[in-house]
Amino acid sequence: MNSSKKNRLKDNAFKYFGIGCTTFGLAMLAIFIGNILIEGFARIDWDFITNFPSRNPDKAGILPALIGTLWIMGLTAIISIPLGISAAIYLEEYGKKSRLANVLEINISNLAGVPSIIYGLLGLEIFGRIMGMGGSLLAGASTLSLLILPIIIVSTREALKAVPKSIKEASFAMGASKWQTISYQLLPASFGGIITGIILALSRAVGETAPLIVIGALAYVPFVPSSPTDEFSVLPIQIFNWISRPQKGFAINAASAIIVLLMVTFVLNGIAMYLRNKWQKKVQW
Amino acid sequence: MSHLDIELQQLKAETIKMWTLVNLQLNKGKESLLNLDKDLAREVILSERRVNAYELKLDRDCENIFALFNPVAVDLRFVLAVLKINNNLERTGDIAEGIAKFVINVDHNFDKQLLELTRAVEMYEAAINMMNETLQAFDQENTAIARKVFQQDELLDDINIKANAVIADYIRNHPECIESALYLLSIIRKLERVGDQAKNVAEEIIFYIEAKVLKHRSIVEKNKK
Amino acid sequence: MNKLEARNVNVFYGPNQVIKDVSISIKKNTVTAFIGPSGCGKSTFLRLFNRMNDYIDIFKMEGRIEIDGSDIYDKQIRVEELRKQIGMVFQKPNPFPKTIYENVIYGLRIQGIKDKKILDEVVEKSLKQAALWEEVKDKLKNSALALSGGQQQRLCIARTLAVAPTVILMDEPASALDPISSAKVEELIYELKSQYTIVIVTHNMQQAGRVSDTTAFFYMGELVEHDSTKMIFTNPKNERTQNYITGRFG
Repeated sequence: MNSSKKNRLKDNAFKYFGIGCTTFGLAMLAIFIGNILIEGFARIDWDFITNFPSRNPDKAGILPALIGTLWIMGLTAIISIPLGISAAIYLEEYGKKSRLANVLEINISNLAGVPSIIYGLLGLEIFGRIMGMGGSLLAGASTLSLLILPIIIVSTREALKAVPKSIKEASFAMGASKWQTISYQLLPASFGGIITGIILALSRAVGETAPLIVIGALAYVPFVPSSPTDEFSVLPIQIFNWISRPQKGFAINAASAIIVLLMVTFVLNGIAMYLRNKWQKKVQW
Repeated sequence: MSHLDIELQQLKAETIKMWTLVNLQLNKGKESLLNLDKDLAREVILSERRVNAYELKLDRDCENIFALFNPVAVDLRFVLAVLKINNNLERTGDIAEGIAKFVINVDHNFDKQLLELTRAVEMYEAAINMMNETLQAFDQENTAIARKVFQQDELLDDINIKANAVIADYIRNHPECIESALYLLSIIRKLERVGDQAKNVAEEIIFYIEAKVLKHRSIVEKNKK
Repeated sequence: MNKLEARNVNVFYGPNQVIKDVSISIKKNTVTAFIGPSGCGKSTFLRLFNRMNDYIDIFKMEGRIEIDGSDIYDKQIRVEELRKQIGMVFQKPNPFPKTIYENVIYGLRIQGIKDKKILDEVVEKSLKQAALWEEVKDKLKNSALALSGGQQQRLCIARTLAVAPTVILMDEPASALDPISSAKVEELIYELKSQYTIVIVTHNMQQAGRVSDTTAFFYMGELVEHDSTKMIFTNPKNERTQNYITGRFG
C-alpha cells in the first residue's frame, strides 16, 4: 500500500468517526426533545399557561413563573444592556492601554467563566441583604445582570473590534469627535453583533436557576408579580419544583413547562439570528 | 482631456511655432537672394537665435514628458518624432542662416540669366513648399500630404545634379562673375539639403502616425500605403 | 507665504525615531508627492499634518508644523477644526456603510448642519467636483458600498471636498484601484490643484511624475531631496534619489 492510499484510508476513517460523533450528539438531543414532547405536549393548553400552581397536578399552571421569567428578562435587559455597552465602549475606545487595563480585561473574560452559584451568593449578600431588596424581582434581575455583564462586554467589544479601522480613521479625518465617531459610525456598524451578543446572554439568564434559588426566589407563588419589588418565581425553578415531587402528574407538568421554556429560548435565539443576518447584509466590507 | 494630452498638445503647438519660424527664415532668405536685400538677410541670421532657443526648449519638454509621463504607443512615437523633427528643423534653420550669410557676402546682384539657367529660384520655392507641406501634414496628421514630399525631393536632386554643368558653363562664359556663381552653387547645395531635411521630417510624421519605418527605402516603397 | 511648513520635525514611536529632522515647505495650490521605499516614514509624515498620529499611544513629536503660519500642534488648536481644513483620502477606499448621500454630507452632519437645501447643494457640487455626479446622480440613496472601487475612492474624495478644506492629504489614493480608475483619480488630482493644496504619498513613481509639481524623496526617516518634479525625475541632485527613481535601489 503506498502512502497516498494510506492517507486516503485515514481520511475516510476520520470522516466516519466524525459522522458517528455528530450523530451521537444529535441523537441524544432528539431523544431528549422527543421524550419531552411525547410526555408533555398533550398537557399544554391555555389553562396550563394561565393557571396558578396547585396541589392538584391537573389544575396546576405556570402563569406566575412565566410572568416572573418575562419580568426577570425585561429587568435584566434594562440593567445589563446600558452597563455592558457603555463599559465595552469605554474599554475599547477610550481606555488607554495600560497594565491596569490588561488586568481588567483578563478579569472580565474570567468572570464570564465563574460558576453561577457564586453570583447568587454575591447577589444575596449585596442586593438581598446590604441593599435590602430581599428576594424581589429587582434583586434577581440585578444578580443575573452581574452574571451576563461579562458576556455582553466581551461580545460588544468583539463587535466593535470587527468594524474596520479605516471607517474610524475616515470619520476622524472628517473632523468628527470620538463620541460622534462612536454614535454615527461604530454603533450602527456593529449593531448586529452587539444585539446578537445581548440576546444570547439574555437567553442564558432566562435558563439560570441556581443564583435565583440562592437569592430566595419562591417555588410556590400564588400571585402574578406586578412590580419589581414583588417576590417571584421563574420557569426553571417551577420545573425543578415539579420534578422533585413524587406524583406522576407533576412530572408531566414539568415536561410541558420545559417545552414552554425551550420555546422562549428558541424564539430569542431566532431573533438573534434574524438580526445578525439582516445587519450583516446591510453592512459589508 | 488627460494631463498627458494637454502636455502633448502644448508640445505640438511649440513645434509648429518653431516650424513656422524656420519656414519664415527660408522665405526671407529667398526674398533677400532675389533682391540682394542684405538687411533682410541679417534678420534671418538674427532669428537663428530664436530657433536655437526653441530647439533647447523642445528638447527639454520631450525629456520632461519621457521622465514624468512615460508615454507609450502613439504618444511615445509622437514624442520621439518631435525629438527628431526638432533636430531637422534646427538644421534647416542653420541652412537658412548659411544662405543669408552668402547673400551678405556677395557684392552685387545675382545675374538673372544665371538664376534662370540653374533653376535656383524654382528649387528654392520647391524646398519652401516641401517644408510648408510637411508642416501641414504634421498639423493635420495627414500622411497623404507627407508622402507628396518624397516626389518633390526628386526635383531638387535633379536641379542639384545639373547645377554643376550649368555653373561650369556659365563661369567659362562670364569669368568676371565667378564669385557670385560659386556662391549660387553653394546655395543650391544647401537647398538640396533642405530637401533632405524635409524628407526626414516626412518620414518621422509617417512613423508617428502609421508606425511605419520608411528610412532607407526607395521612393516606390515609400509611397505604398 | 507657504501653505504648509514643517520645521525640524522629529517623530518617535517609543524608542524608535521614524522621522529625522525633516523640514519642508509646501506652496499653496500645488501638488506635492512624497515618495520613498516602504517604511521610509512618508505616510507617518503625511499624517502629521492632520494629526492622525495622535491616536498612536507611543507617538511623540518634536518640532513645529504650520498651516498658514499657525502651529497645528498648539494646545489652543481644536483637532476637529483642523481636520475640516485639512482633509484626508486613504489608500483603501473607505466609504461609510451608508448611502452615497449620507457619505457626502457626513462632515456637515457632524457640524450640525441640517438644512436640506444646503445639504442637497453640497452633495451635487462635491460629487461634480469629484467627477462622480453623472454616474451616481440617480442613485444617491443607494448604499455607497455597491459602487466600484474607483467610484468609492472618488466618493471619498467628494466627501472630503464637501467640508471645503484648503489642503487635501492623500495616502496612496490610487494604489488599490485598477489602472483606469487610477487614471481617473489622477486626472481628478490634476484638476483639483487649482483650488486645493494637495499632498500625496505614492509608491508609484510614474504617478508622482504625472500628477505632482514638486516631489519629496524620503529615505529611512530623512527627507533626502525636495525639488520640482521635473528636476527630481530628470536630474536629481542626490545619488540616493537617483538610485531610487531609476529602480536601482539596493
